[in-house]
Amino acid sequence: MSEIVFKEIKTLQYERPDVEKGYANQTLYVNLTRPEIAVKPVTEAMKKIFVGGKGFDLWLLWNAVKGTTRWDDPENEVCISCGPLGGTPIYPGSGKSIVTTISPTTGSVMDSNVGGYFGPYLKFAGFDAMEVQGQGAGETVLFVDGIDEKVQIYECSGLPEDAYETSRMLTEHFGQGKPRNISVVSSGPGAKNTLIGCLNFTWYDAGRKRVRYKQAGRGGIGTVFARKHIKALVVRWDAVTVSTNRPADEEALKEIAKLHSHEIVELDPKQNEMAKIGTTHLVTIMDDFDLLPTHNFRYGQHPQTPNIGKEVYRRLFDKGFDGCWIGCTVACSHGIKDFVPMTGPYKGKKVFVDGPEYETIAGCGSNLGIFDPFTVTEINFYCDAYGIDTISFGTGLAFAMECYETGLINQTHTGGLELTFGNRVSALEVLHQMARGEGFGKVVGQGVRRMKSWFAKECGADEAVMKDIGMEAKGLEFSEYMTKESLAQQGGYGLALKGPQHDEAWLIFLDMVHNYMPTFEQKAEALHWFPMFRTWFGLCGLCKLPWNDIVPEDNKETMEPAKIMKHVEWYGRYFSAVTGRKAGPDDLISMSEGVYNFQRLFNLKMGFGTREHDALPYRAVGPVTAEEYESRAERYDKQLVEEHKADITGKSTEEKVSLLRTIREAMYETLTDAVYKRRGWTPQGIPKLETVKRLGIDFPDVIELLKAHGVR
Amino acid sequence: MMIKVGGKEHPWQKGMTVADLLKDLNDPYPYAVVRINGSVISRPHFEKTTVPDGAEIFLIPMIAGG
Repeated sequence: MSEIVFKEIKTLQYERPDVEKGYANQTLYVNLTRPEIAVKPVTEAMKKIFVGGKGFDLWLLWNAVKGTTRWDDPENEVCISCGPLGGTPIYPGSGKSIVTTISPTTGSVMDSNVGGYFGPYLKFAGFDAMEVQGQGAGETVLFVDGIDEKVQIYECSGLPEDAYETSRMLTEHFGQGKPRNISVVSSGPGAKNTLIGCLNFTWYDAGRKRVRYKQAGRGGIGTVFARKHIKALVVRWDAVTVSTNRPADEEALKEIAKLHSHEIVELDPKQNEMAKIGTTHLVTIMDDFDLLPTHNFRYGQHPQTPNIGKEVYRRLFDKGFDGCWIGCTVACSHGIKDFVPMTGPYKGKKVFVDGPEYETIAGCGSNLGIFDPFTVTEINFYCDAYGIDTISFGTGLAFAMECYETGLINQTHTGGLELTFGNRVSALEVLHQMARGEGFGKVVGQGVRRMKSWFAKECGADEAVMKDIGMEAKGLEFSEYMTKESLAQQGGYGLALKGPQHDEAWLIFLDMVHNYMPTFEQKAEALHWFPMFRTWFGLCGLCKLPWNDIVPEDNKETMEPAKIMKHVEWYGRYFSAVTGRKAGPDDLISMSEGVYNFQRLFNLKMGFGTREHDALPYRAVGPVTAEEYESRAERYDKQLVEEHKADITGKSTEEKVSLLRTIREAMYETLTDAVYKRRGWTPQGIPKLETVKRLGIDFPDVIELLKAHGVR
Repeated sequence: MMIKVGGKEHPWQKGMTVADLLKDLNDPYPYAVVRINGSVISRPHFEKTTVPDGAEIFLIPMIAGG
């Protein structure tokens, strides 16, 4: 291996402010082209309207880009922020970073949240958020040193290609013998050569004495990062205590943190055992309810699912504490020790794999027809090492596999790869090709939306069929839940700001299993409250898992059990204790509403954000093919007859597919109307003038934007 | 001839299914999942899954998801 050389390009010495009530009260601006490093103040108005985290990111990005900015323009930015509650070591799930950029796959604003220590360390180093603009002349490492109070841009050579080795070496290099003081953000060769690149955020696992990773996966943020020639961002900070975030009322914080932390310790072992098996418990449960994506979301069940279920991973996961932030009692970030890949550059070598989690198992397992836990683990490992989003990889490859199996594409187009469902060797080869920027892997790495165009142009594939079965909306690949039988979750995906990711709303059980919201208006209410409350976590630097993945034992007695109001109240007390800004449950919702609507307006600014962009592929709404219909004929026949009062006597399967489609597509449109109305938007899906005024986001450029779209 | 439900003792009957147990408990909450001696049972299997004597059962309000 060649020698690693760091050439200092620019240094800014700064005076680190003490964090006050959760805020450093300044942000960091870096332009790699010029190069320039600057510090910007955080105003009280910024805190009031945007709160922090994703809110700050969006505001910085909004001011940096024009409506015509493309993802690969140097003026695009990668913004990272933590939030005022982030960095609290005693409250579970308080170490998240939120990353935003203009996405290569959607062309609009993207956000992704991630664990690891970077965001909290960045704040304690003196910055509530950072924005990186421009493009480095060569491979660039940006170092934020909160201990020695300097920010440095380095041009570097000799660093390894993949994220694992890069992060390990940079942790060692900058840690000065204290690796726990370092967090690294990096991508990898796959991020460079595809549009679905992710970012790896690290923390140092002192127990195992190794660097661990979490991923900001969605929407190709890693690809933007790589295009800027950023090899890594490194932050250095010292020990963290409850006082580091300087909460307004430390005693009140300790009291509420203790309540939530202890509840999780008591109840998680009785409920989902996340501290032992993470989110893998969902695999077999989703399968039981016909919700586990299988063979490109055609079906929701498979007899081999137990092979990739929680009992398998319970045995594979390495025992020990797995919190991605200090003191988190959910501690769900499990990993596999001494895993030996069968392919690729690490073939035959022992590695530690961070994961897999539910999404990766479903996306890179069942959805590809792969029911082998070791192949899923290997795909997980290489996606991370190469800097590729496991969800977009799984959903994208599943689409390509269905196109191959149905003859829309063939081996001439795949470069000889036999791309049938379940073909583990081909799946791994596609992944390695992505990292090398070669062959059919390069095509799959463009994401589903571009694959559809390529298959139509180069292979003569039927565009109408691909529109129905290509599982993307807004240009983002679906995350791994079946939505065919839950209209509310169709809205949860289709009406989400960035595209079909479940972080805004997960309403499947409430809707489909419990039938809690039978009317359109009730669904619309849920599609208001849940996205708003879930957005709030991203404003504050929090993980949402402690809110509703561990549930109080008396929760079922409450008026609205789905909202877990006991925890919502605790979060209000938590926010008040840290920021000194008194907040109850309703205040948390209104904080989010401002940022949520601002992000919708950001989509509008970028040329999206209207009704036509909230459309879904029909595979997400109902059975596309006769084969899908017939596999659940009893269910669909019953719905047609009993719910929709249709006469199906003598109708062929194709006719019934068509009839059901007409009904279900109309229902989605009715739901869309109801949700827009509830959110205070026009029938075109644009926030009304009165809505933006009420939320205090009626900035002059917002008013101009609305005017340009006929909203006055 | 007893089982434990959420840490509390409850009488067991031969052939009792998860669905029978929930009926017995008279708990109106629509549980999606229960855990019996470490195995997770989802609602589609409530009627055909029998509860063994001495079982330890947790009722899981599985409303969270992703």
